[in-house]
Amino acid sequence: MAKCFALMGWSLPVIESMQKLNKPYVVVSFPDFENYAKEHDIPFVSYQFDEWSDTSNSIDLHEKLKPFDVDVAVPLFEETVEWAGALNSIYRDDPRVLNRAFLFRNKAMMKRKALIGGLRVGLFEEVYNKEGVKAFMKRLNQANLQIENEEDSWVHVKPFASAGTVGHRLLRSMSDVDEKCQEEDFPCLAESHLPGKEFSCEAYIHKGKIRFLNITEYVKLGYSNFIPEGNHLHTKRDRIMKEMQKLVDLFGIEYGMIHPEWFLTEDDTLSFGEVACRIPGGHILELAGKAYDFDALGAFVLCHDPNITEEELDEILPPLDARPKNFYGNVMIYPHKKQISKLEIPDELKEEPYFLDHNLVPPMSGQKISDRDGFGNHFGTVNFKGEDPDRMEELLLHYENVDFYH
Amino acid sequence: MGNPTLTENSSQKLIELLEEFKSATSLTKPEKANRLMGQIDILCDSVDGLGVIYNLIEEISEGGIFNETPWADPSKLVAGLVHWTLKSGHPNSTIELLSELRLMAIAKGDYKTPSITAAEADSFIQEVLVGNLEFVFNDPVEETRLTMSEHELSKVHNLFKFLSNHIHLDDVKDTLAEELTLICEQRPVVTEKQRKIIALVKEKIELDPNKEGDQKLLSFQRSIYRPAHRTINVDVADYRAVLEKLNNTELYLESQEMGESMLRYGLVSAYHAVLLKYLIEKEYFRTVPICLGLSPVGESRWQEHTSYLSKLILSTVHVANSQCIYGLAKMLENGIIARQAVRSGLSNLGEIKLNSEVEERILKSSNDPRHEVTARQYLIGALFRILGQPLGVGQGNNPTCQSARGISMWSQHAPAKLINMVQTAAVTNDITFRFEGQEIKASTTGKGLVQNLDYNLDAVSVTLVPMLDRIYNEMMLRGSGRAEDPHKWVNPALYGQWIQIGFASAYDYLSNAIVDFDGFVRVFYAMCHPDYNGNHRLIYPNPVGIFITSSKGDMLGFHAVSLLRVDKDPSGEYRAYFLNPNNEGRQDWGQGVKPSVYGNGEKHGESSLPIHHFAARTYAFHFNDLEAELLVDNVPAKEVEKVRTLAKDSWGKSYTWLETKKKW
Repeated sequence: MAKCFALMGWSLPVIESMQKLNKPYVVVSFPDFENYAKEHDIPFVSYQFDEWSDTSNSIDLHEKLKPFDVDVAVPLFEETVEWAGALNSIYRDDPRVLNRAFLFRNKAMMKRKALIGGLRVGLFEEVYNKEGVKAFMKRLNQANLQIENEEDSWVHVKPFASAGTVGHRLLRSMSDVDEKCQEEDFPCLAESHLPGKEFSCEAYIHKGKIRFLNITEYVKLGYSNFIPEGNHLHTKRDRIMKEMQKLVDLFGIEYGMIHPEWFLTEDDTLSFGEVACRIPGGHILELAGKAYDFDALGAFVLCHDPNITEEELDEILPPLDARPKNFYGNVMIYPHKKQISKLEIPDELKEEPYFLDHNLVPPMSGQKISDRDGFGNHFGTVNFKGEDPDRMEELLLHYENVDFYH
Repeated sequence: MGNPTLTENSSQKLIELLEEFKSATSLTKPEKANRLMGQIDILCDSVDGLGVIYNLIEEISEGGIFNETPWADPSKLVAGLVHWTLKSGHPNSTIELLSELRLMAIAKGDYKTPSITAAEADSFIQEVLVGNLEFVFNDPVEETRLTMSEHELSKVHNLFKFLSNHIHLDDVKDTLAEELTLICEQRPVVTEKQRKIIALVKEKIELDPNKEGDQKLLSFQRSIYRPAHRTINVDVADYRAVLEKLNNTELYLESQEMGESMLRYGLVSAYHAVLLKYLIEKEYFRTVPICLGLSPVGESRWQEHTSYLSKLILSTVHVANSQCIYGLAKMLENGIIARQAVRSGLSNLGEIKLNSEVEERILKSSNDPRHEVTARQYLIGALFRILGQPLGVGQGNNPTCQSARGISMWSQHAPAKLINMVQTAAVTNDITFRFEGQEIKASTTGKGLVQNLDYNLDAVSVTLVPMLDRIYNEMMLRGSGRAEDPHKWVNPALYGQWIQIGFASAYDYLSNAIVDFDGFVRVFYAMCHPDYNGNHRLIYPNPVGIFITSSKGDMLGFHAVSLLRVDKDPSGEYRAYFLNPNNEGRQDWGQGVKPSVYGNGEKHGESSLPIHHFAARTYAFHFNDLEAELLVDNVPAKEVEKVRTLAKDSWGKSYTWLETKKKW
């Protein structure tokens, strides 16, 4: 049983879960949150995560956390994964824990590791400038036996260490490389386009074993997903489970949760995209919590504790073979126009039996919309609940194109 | 959301969200509150939904939705603030609505709280009702229409429907009487609103004939429910039998009472139709003018056209559309019926077969589920009203001031053209106009300004407005891009050749600014002010574009009115008398600019303002550009300055002002 969890990053729902579970914790985050923490009696250590110096480092943070008796660090956000890795290396007296954290923070290294272990991945390469991307695309074209005037092979470029879709660009042609890539994007990872249905897994791991596996079906990346997986994907669950355990073994994950993205083609090939070990975006754990009726965030934190008892784990996690009756899905809403002045909830949504709730707020008058980066700045989420996954998918696809802001 | 399973479903969701909200700690409460409020906002789409919320209001309130907000303590609320908060949109309007539901629950004893008593809550709700009559009767003023979305409007209207269904209205009597006077003095063509208020009063308020304050409301009630002696305690269905027992003198007296009652407020009771038809059927032709409340002039017209009118009345008037009798009486007074073209047009209408879509629109607007009257009868009846009361034409809750203005103008100056247009539209569900030598056909143009027509209109308007609106919009499109306000060309094309060629706009399209406002005001005064235009009267209505400003004077939008005349009021001050198609009685445009509808020399249907107030809200009008040049120098700088100050400190703040002189 952990003496105290260090929650690396600021998340009110996670803090609320810890309070409700009555577990000892301390929040480590930027100084901006200190006042709020003080007002709400939240144990807090302020730390400048984006600074790395003689006075700002894991040894220093370790010292600062001693008064709280911390023995487990939990990364809540992409940017705190190394910090948590470094602290856990100290707590568990195992330097490789930190190295594993680095694995999650470098997409090229991650892919290489997956490739070595026998997972199927796309072609990838580290690139340092636009010419590098073009050379990569050219080699890909050759490998795909491109004939003159045929389309170029699609290439994705992603920063090595950003969460989800931040900085992710899809390049469909040589000219796209010039138009879409910025000098400051480099160096980064270039990879071939993986076709197929995209889904993610959220595997709760303890002592190197998957204790609970959620599969999230992506309807459209950055817009919508639902939980649990639809009927077709469900028939592949055993295979997915095997590949997931392979990934866990390969990466040497012992505690916590991993959140990889996979692609399944029609011919049943399963390809590995990438993997993270923090709270996934897209409100996935919120949906999972509702679908499986468990405290998904609390369980996320507790799985990081090497000393938690089997009973406690069984109590907080759903059974491994659970299949909920209801599907929960959401679609993130972005304004379609550059300037908006009002929010209109369409009647068809109000009358939709699957519609659950929304948290959209009306815009300021004449609000201008800034450009999107990594799907980060959606205006809110519309949630759905229902028994038929096909209907769910249909609804999510539909509402992605409905304009709520005028 | 009238569907019970949907309401059931929504109510289940509300309960779930409420549970989540209640079980959240202060950390995630704001996020859960946001979702809860989102669901409440959706439920407010129906009165049933409000019932669902009302049943949970104690839990919602105790759950902490009002905590740390200005609504936290119900004893510290200010009724005067409710109106503006409701207009400010979700989530403010939603929490305000919850606050009213909470107060109602307290007033009715469904929810007990130490901070305020049931009686206090009750009087608060009453005060809120008085301050929000436009929402109670779903008759938003122009300003509200411009600021609120359709959803917000229906949500707030549902709230007031719900409140007035459950609360006694004793303390609002004076306000209701004042409201009724403001409406009836304008003699609107559509009388639904005053009838609704009168019905509400009858149903909800106990009146004492011995109390002075109550007498006014009783007199309104009588004009509909017991307009004459023999109608007391007699059902409309039995009234004819009562009439059959009366002798000549008794019929004469009954008719006299009936006519006077109609003239008092311009409201016609169902009994009136029975009496009028009885008189004609039994050939009491000399009593008919009495029954219609006619002056000697009107009476002589009746005598001239007795057989024509008798036929018209018998085929048109019915208990369900009795209001048209007032219009008919006014048509006899104003002489419209004396024109051969009008009589022919009305006869022709009796022969047409209505297009089924038009028929549907008319029946939808008639609010007569039993369909006792045909669509054609409604249409002809509505024409009586339009032709008899041209200044009573209204736009309903539609952004179609242009079309309403047109109908009003034609009914005064081209009544036969109007009848003919109505006939074409009714038969074909289409009309054509000419614009700069080219034809515009309503059926082949794009959308107009109005997407969902509010059917609280007369049958003529529901027939014409959807098409006029499209035509107007198409003309505006064709006239745009010419670096000047398209109304310069659209107004004469739409309304007709009596619109003056000259056109003045304070706003200059090229410089995107207000240019030479002083010159603009001079031209305006030279156009209409008798002191500076050679003591001339206006002959035809002048289509004027005005800025609508809030009660704080802030710019809100644009509106179309017709300037009818400029005259001295009873106190000797020059006022602009104009037609405002939105029929608002209570208006406040800021800076003390408050149009009145009676008491300042207005004829029924006119609004008025002191001339400089009117000028200070005008941005475009037509004028005779050949004459104006000779007159503009008559206008004293002092007058111009008055207007300029008012304009600049209100809507003028939204624009750049340039002082360069320009040729008008």
